[in-house]
Parts: sequence; structure tokens; C-alpha cells
Amino acid sequence: MRSERAMLVLAVAVVGAAGLAPMLAVLAESVRVGGQFGLAHYGVLVRSTRQWQLLGHSVLLASLVAGMATTIGLPLGVLMAKTDLPLRGTLAALFTFPFLLPPYVVAVGWFQVFGRGGIVGDWLGPAVAERTHAILFGLSGTALVLASCLMPVVMLLTMLFVRTVPPRLEEAARLAAPWGATFIRVTIPLILPGVLLGALIVFLLALGEFAVPMFLRYDVYSVDSFTRFAALYQPAVAAAASVPLGLIALLLVALERLFLRDRTYEIRFAASAPDVLTAPLGRARFVLLGVVLLLGAVGVALPLGSLAIRSAAPGVYPEAFARGWDALVRSLGYAAAGATLLTVIGFALGYLIQRRALSIWRAVDSLTILLFVLPSTVVGIGLIALWNRPTLGAVYGTAWLVLVGYVAQYTAVTSRATVAGLSAIPRAAEEAARLAGAGWFRRVALIVAPLASRSLCAAWIVAYLLCVRDTGLTMMIYPPGGDTLPVRTFTLMANGAPPLIAALCVMMIAAAVIPLGVIGLVFGDLRPGRQRAKAAW
Amino acid sequence: MTMRLEPGERVALLGPSGCGKTTVLRLVAGFVAPDHGLVRIGDEVVAIDGRIVVPPERRGVGMVFQDLALWPHLSVHGNLAFGLRSQGVSKPEIERRIHEMLEMVGLGTFADAKPTRLSGGEQQRVALARALVLRPHVLLMDEPLSSVDERLNRQLRGEIVRLQMELGFTLLYVTHRADEAADVAERVAQMDRSGGLGGAVTI
Amino acid sequence: MRRLGFACLVLLVACRGADDSVVVYVSHDQVFSEPILRDFERDTGIRVLPVYDTEEAKGTGVMNRLLAERNNPQADVYWANEPIRAELLKQEGVSESYRSPSSQGIPAGLRDPDGHWTGFAARARVFVVHKDIGDPPRTIAAYSDPSWRGRGVIANPLFGTTTTHMAALASLWGADSLMAFLGLARANSVVMSTSNGESADLVAQGAFAFSLVDVDDAISRLRRGDPITMIYPDQAVGGLGTLLLPNAVLLIRGGPNPENGRRLIDYLLSPETERKLAASDAAQVPLHEGVAVPPDLPPIENVTIMDVDYTSMARLLDEIQPLLQSWVESQP
Repeated sequence: MRSERAMLVLAVAVVGAAGLAPMLAVLAESVRVGGQFGLAHYGVLVRSTRQWQLLGHSVLLASLVAGMATTIGLPLGVLMAKTDLPLRGTLAALFTFPFLLPPYVVAVGWFQVFGRGGIVGDWLGPAVAERTHAILFGLSGTALVLASCLMPVVMLLTMLFVRTVPPRLEEAARLAAPWGATFIRVTIPLILPGVLLGALIVFLLALGEFAVPMFLRYDVYSVDSFTRFAALYQPAVAAAASVPLGLIALLLVALERLFLRDRTYEIRFAASAPDVLTAPLGRARFVLLGVVLLLGAVGVALPLGSLAIRSAAPGVYPEAFARGWDALVRSLGYAAAGATLLTVIGFALGYLIQRRALSIWRAVDSLTILLFVLPSTVVGIGLIALWNRPTLGAVYGTAWLVLVGYVAQYTAVTSRATVAGLSAIPRAAEEAARLAGAGWFRRVALIVAPLASRSLCAAWIVAYLLCVRDTGLTMMIYPPGGDTLPVRTFTLMANGAPPLIAALCVMMIAAAVIPLGVIGLVFGDLRPGRQRAKAAW
Repeated sequence: MTMRLEPGERVALLGPSGCGKTTVLRLVAGFVAPDHGLVRIGDEVVAIDGRIVVPPERRGVGMVFQDLALWPHLSVHGNLAFGLRSQGVSKPEIERRIHEMLEMVGLGTFADAKPTRLSGGEQQRVALARALVLRPHVLLMDEPLSSVDERLNRQLRGEIVRLQMELGFTLLYVTHRADEAADVAERVAQMDRSGGLGGAVTI
Repeated sequence: MRRLGFACLVLLVACRGADDSVVVYVSHDQVFSEPILRDFERDTGIRVLPVYDTEEAKGTGVMNRLLAERNNPQADVYWANEPIRAELLKQEGVSESYRSPSSQGIPAGLRDPDGHWTGFAARARVFVVHKDIGDPPRTIAAYSDPSWRGRGVIANPLFGTTTTHMAALASLWGADSLMAFLGLARANSVVMSTSNGESADLVAQGAFAFSLVDVDDAISRLRRGDPITMIYPDQAVGGLGTLLLPNAVLLIRGGPNPENGRRLIDYLLSPETERKLAASDAAQVPLHEGVAVPPDLPPIENVTIMDVDYTSMARLLDEIQPLLQSWVESQP
């Protein structure tokens, strides 16, 4: 009992130090004026019409992205999980792909297709390209690109939640109505809390995103407040400027806790039925397949394929390797180390949350989720404010700080995956070991962890992907000479030759996908575990 | 196996768990098609040799599920209105029929309640009302009383029979309890473990 | 899996900077600066640990990082891509005076009198003009000149060097006169593009007659054979002169490797580095006299330089921001 408590408290302390303390540091910094308490920095913000306007831009962009992601992701999720659409597995993977990449890579891909001098121009003439170019830059393009990157969140959550709908509820409806009405009035309303959760995550991720708005030239709060405004070069003002974004995240997470969380559990009554009902699409299946294929081609395959096309010139890849090889190696190292650390800490926290082992389990859960949706710039500023001291030089300015940042931002993913995995393990398995006299460490190491191994592997993979694609946080805290491939590519984008950038983006895609393939080959099919991990949301 | 029900008759399907009673109901409802053979309702062949000819919503069949399957996001009123709306019944007619139906099962004052807030017996009646408000020719019941206590079980048996006599639908009632079958049905069909019907027609 | 992760951690820590290294934060485009730094490593054996900025004036860049680290400096050298930031850092007390021997010969107006920062390898702000234009515009006043009505294009003044250019004009004329000029330009149907590169492309395609861009935007298109010419504007006697935006390098106060920092600064300010930057696609004008330049880049001796005060530009940059914003948003 004592070792259990000690380990859990230690895990909570780690996340507290990595995540909570920087947030508090930001707050503390923002209310310090000339060494004393004061709200002057907020006064500057409140009076600046530009800041309000930018906050408006950010909320508008995030709402548009969440709206589009839901409008497309919900029907796609239903199609993929509940119908006999041909190729649905492949298509679901295709649509998920952009989510695995740093969003600006996807933006570069879109630019290669729809920008001036892009593929559309080659095919349909410069006049059409002029049009698409105008749409791509500014609010419309930024929203489209981010929606294509974040839509998978809604789609995957929809796919997951429709599987939890008891089939009887749909059959009861099928006695009176065709599948269409059944989906609209029974299935979708039942999973609405899950879908709204997805929309909320998308909204918050879009709110914190800055690379894509920067690339496509749409002024948003997260870009501007940390550059132009904070370009008055006062960290305290920058800290104050980051507080509104933190507050929005906090508010929405709190609302989700209040209104959605309980309703999500409400529908989980005994579903003895074995499987998920599938709606036959009949003749419509080929029409729908055509529509979905077109969407996948225009929104995913073309932009990402264009990167490969653009980079396929002699001498490009040798230069890309010369420019990015060391960063690529570091990316893989950071991501592997980060994912491992995240899996260990996430397991402890997930155990704590699922078993309600400490009275603060709910607060821990909320904290990790808040940190996950907090804009990376806020976390970054907090980490610098907290760790940048002569006495902490052993961490600050080293790769350790990057790992601390990953733990701060992404623990929610691994802890929730653990929760999902543990929920599927009968408690009796651990209790039996306890009666047999095994201590907590032995129980966890020999009984619980092996039983949850699929979830833990899935957690590791998702954490790896999030770490390897991270741009915003790493960019702020990487040690000198220790940047990662997404950061390297992003900095090279200023005046870098387009083929080189495209080649680096292709390298990044490989960095995300190839290790997954290897792991997949070694550990076999992990998809069910992966889905369970996502179910935790 | 072959089974034939006369219009307006009450038949119970009795057998141990796992013998395929529920599958029979799902065949009639149209959720599955028989690999070989056919299902006929009235004069119409609704499924034949692995193919569903008439989908569930056009068979005029109602069903009460073992776990009731009430929709938790809709009120009692919403649960009853769903099918009526889907069948294109006019709005005033929907209200009239729901009111009438709820009165009939003794839930007149519960229209706006969420089913999860109701007692077991009340939920049972909502499930019955939801199935009957569509005026099905055939009502399928799958162990509907398995989760209520003995006293309520006996009381509800009587109500089911009363409603059937009032409304005149054909009832196919699945249970594993002989006394329940005897109370509810005019005929009892016995199924054995292999899925065969022993003593195809009794009483 | 855990053991593997631990091994990774150990590796990461082992990669930390040794004594013989120098930490440099870089705001100049990584594409151009990285090869120079690699050459320094090769020539001196000192390991360079760089942190690069994202696109100019944007990103939560190294500028903020320098300020955030003021009390615990991590960097030895800052390579700024224009002097305004260097000036700001000086004002914030981040930098330390260092008069490099290599700064001999760099014009006095392009380095800090107190020796905190020194300019080198400048980006010039030039006109690109379509080849078919017989008598090309020779002054930025062409934007408000009715005879060029609807023929000029300029990048969004809220971004990059165009913003800096506006600040320079404001420091010479005052903010009100700048806005009056922009108002006239608007009335003269000047079109706004998203970037200097786009402006240059539009001129090359013949959609517009001329545009104010960075010298590297012009050179890259000239080298690829686009039908344009490059002109240094306002060269007439008594004219404004051409705006030069030099890179600037400064030594960070209290950095971990000051001696190596000075060596790097000496290296960056050398004529040889200027020659490389001139020859690269960055096409930056050397500030030392007599540095060999490619034929398409005029040497500094022949250019009348706009005489600007970077201190007042730093102040004006923030002041004119809202004015430019409203100008951009009022576009029809």
C-alpha cells in the first residue's frame, strides 16, 4: 500500500512540476509589475483594440475549423464505422494521415496544389490557380487546411462512440424507420456528447495553432501576441497575453466536465449484444464511395502526394539529408524517449484515475486534459519562465527540458489510454494476486501491465506520434544545436527552395510512419488497442 | 422448422436459454434473413433464402426487447413519437395516439419524463407502449419480464393479455418460464437445444 | 522499452555542449546562415550550437528567448537579420560592447556607436521593373505618381522588410506623412500582395510594372531569366537613397563562451563572409569596400544609402503598426 501511494504521488508530482508549475509561473509573471503585484500588463492588453480583434480572429478561425471538422468528420465517421462502404478501412486511414503530421506540412502540401504555380495551375491554367491561391491565403485557406488536419479527431471519436451504442436501441428504431432516420434521431443523438467532445478538442487545438496561420497569413492571437505584441519584448506582457488563451481552454474543459462527461457515461448500460450493426448502403454505396474518394483525393492525397512530386528532382534529397539528417535522428530520439517517459507516467496516472486510488484523481485527470489543449506557446513560455535559472542549468538548455515539455503537454493521452485499458481488465485479476500475497509493484508489473500491454503499446505509439510532430513547443525550448526535424523544416521555410522544403516534409512523413510500420510488424496488429486508447476520450 | 401463427392469437415460444428463441424473433422482425427458407407475414414473403425482401420498418411488426432498449436521450413522449413521425403520421394525430396509448398503459402523467428516471415496471410499460403505438399487426416480446420482481411479473402478464385483447394484434412471446408462457399465451411452442420445435402446437 | 528510452536520454545528455563550443541565436534565414556557420566550425574547430528563428519578425522567436534568458544567458552571439532588433536588445541590456577588428571599414551609420552591434552584409530594398517598361520609375514616389496609376504593387506592409521600410520612411518623414503617402498610393490604385516574392512574380508575369522588393527576390528571378530589371531607387542627388538593411551581430552579456563568441563575430564580420553571402542566393550587399560581388549586384561604393536612425525606427515600428493595420484593412 505504501509503495503504491509513493509511486502515484511521485507521478502526480512529476506532472505537477512539468505542467502545473509552469502555468502558475506564467500567472505569477504576468501580475508582477516592477517587482510588485499589479495588473498593468493586463491593462495594456485590455485597452489594445488590436488584441481584441486578434482574439476575435482566433475564435472565429477555431469555430470555423471545429464546425467544418464536425460537418465532415461526423458523417465520415458514421460511414466508416456503420456502413458497408467499400474500402472503408483504407479510407479511414487515409483521412487520419494528416493528423499525424505537423499541420504546416499539410499547409505546404496544399500550397503546392492550390497555390500560384501549383498543380492546379498546371492542370487548369493560371487563371484558376489565381482563384485557388486567393482562397488558400487568409481565413478561408487557414480554416480549410486546419480542418483537414484536425477532422480525424471527430471522425475517429465518432467511429469509436458509435461502436458503444447498444444495437438494440437501433433495432428498436429500425422497426419503425429506415436507417437514415435511425442515424439522425437515435444513433447520432446518442453519441452527441462524444462528437461535441471531438469538436471541442478541435476548437482548442485550432486556437493554439500558429504555424499554419503564419504560413497562410491570417493574423491570429496565438501568432501575434507572442511576436508583434510581445515584440515590445516584455516577457511579462507576453505572459499576460497568454492568459486569455489559457482561460478559454480552462473554461471549455470545465464546461465539458460539467455537461458532457456524465452524459457520455449515461448511455453505457448493459449491452449484451455482440457486435455493431451495419447499415447496407445498397446502390448508394458507389455514389458515396465516389464522393468520399473525391474528398480524400482533393483534401489528403493530392496535397501530400504533391510534396513527393515536388521533391522528386535530382540533388534534392542529398541536400535534404545534408540539411536535416541530424535533426531527423534527434527527432526520433526525442520522440522515442518522450513516448517512453509519457507511457510510464501516463500508466501511473491512468491507474490512479481508473482505480481512484488517491482522492485527487479527478483533479489530476482535469489537469492533464487542460494541459493537452493548452496552446503550446503558453506551455513554452511557462517552462522558460520557470526553468530558466542559473541553478537549473542542468535541465534548462538541454534536451531534458524538451522531455519535460512533452510530459507537460501530452500526459493526458497516455493516462487516458491506460484508463481505457484498465477498464477492460477485471479487478479480480489484481485482487487475486493481492490475496496471493503480491505487493503492489509485483501486482502491477506481473499482472496489470501485461494485461494492459496492448493499451500501453497503443499509448506509446500515439505519444510517439504527438512528440515527433510537435513543432510549437519544441521550437521554444530546444537546446542550442539540438533542434528537431519539424523545427528545422519550419525555420528553413523562410526562403528555402520549395523542392528542398517538400523533401524535408517527405522525410518527416517517413519519420512518423516508418517507425510505426516497424513496430506494427514486431508487435502484430495493434488496431483494436489503438481504438481502445482513443475510446478513453 | 416451421411455425405458423393465426391472426390475433397469442403464442409463447418456450425453451432453455441459447436454443435460438431470440433468433426466431429477429427473423420475424427482419434484422436477419434465414439462410434457407422463408418468412411470411400475412400474404407477403418478407425474407427468403438469405435475402431480406421487406425491411423491418415496412413489416408492421412491433417488438419489446429483453433489455427494453428505451432511448435514453428522448423523453417518454419522444420514445413514442419517433416511430409515428417516421411513418409520416400527422402532428395532431401523433399527439392523440400517444396520449391514448399512455393512458392505456397507465402512464398518462409521465410523458415528459426521461426513461432512465422511471422504475422498472414503468420502463416496462413505456417499452410496451412504444411498440404498440404504431399499431403493429404482430408484436414480438423477448423475455420482457425477466428483469422485474415476481410480484410485478405476475401483474404485468395480466396487462399484456388485456392489451392484446383490446387491440387484437398477434403476439409471439418468448420466455424460458413455463408458468409465464401458460399465463400469457393461448398456445405454447416448445423449442429444444438443437433449435428444433418439439410439439409444434400445443393447447 | 523503458531501457531503450533511458538509453536515449543518456545519449541526449551526452550531446550537451562541450567547452569548445559557441551558442549562437540566428534570425537570418537558416538556408543562408547555416552554411556560413558550418564553415566557421570547419575553419576553427569550434562547435557551433545554433538556435534558428522562424520567419522574420514572427514566430515566438529567438528574440523573445534572448529576453527571457536575460538573467541566465544561454547564448554567446545573436545574429540579427536587421539592426532594429539588435538596437532593442542593446536598450534592454542584453548585449555587451565589442569592437571587432573585422568591423574596420564598415560605414559608421551601419554600426552602433557604442560598439554593441555591428552591421554586415545588407539586404537592399530595390525596385523590380518589367523589361518592357521603357522609362522605368526611379523613386518610390512613383507609387503616388498618377502617371504610374494602377501599375505598382507592394507587399503587405504588416509583414517583414516592408514593415521595416515603412518604419524607415516614418523616421525620415514622420508617421503622418508616411500615412499621407500611403493614402495617395491607395488613391493611385496600388495593389497589395502577400509577400515580396509574390510582388516580384507579379511584375515578372507583366501584371504590374514595378514593385519594391528585397534584393534577393529580384536577384533570384533575374538568375532564373525572368523578364525584369533591378533598380536601386532614389539615387538622384539629394534623393532619399536606397534603404539598406544590414545583418547585425552582437555579443550577449554574460554568455557561456565569450571568447568563442568574439571569434565568431570576427568571422561573421569578415569580408570573406560578406563575399559568400553576396554570392549566395541571399544576394546581400557587402559593407566592406572592395569585396568581390557577382556581376548582377552593384558594389556598395556606387550606392547612395538612405540615412536612417535605427533607434527611432525601433520606436516607430510599434507606433505605426495600428496605422498600417487600418490601411491594410481599408483596402477596397
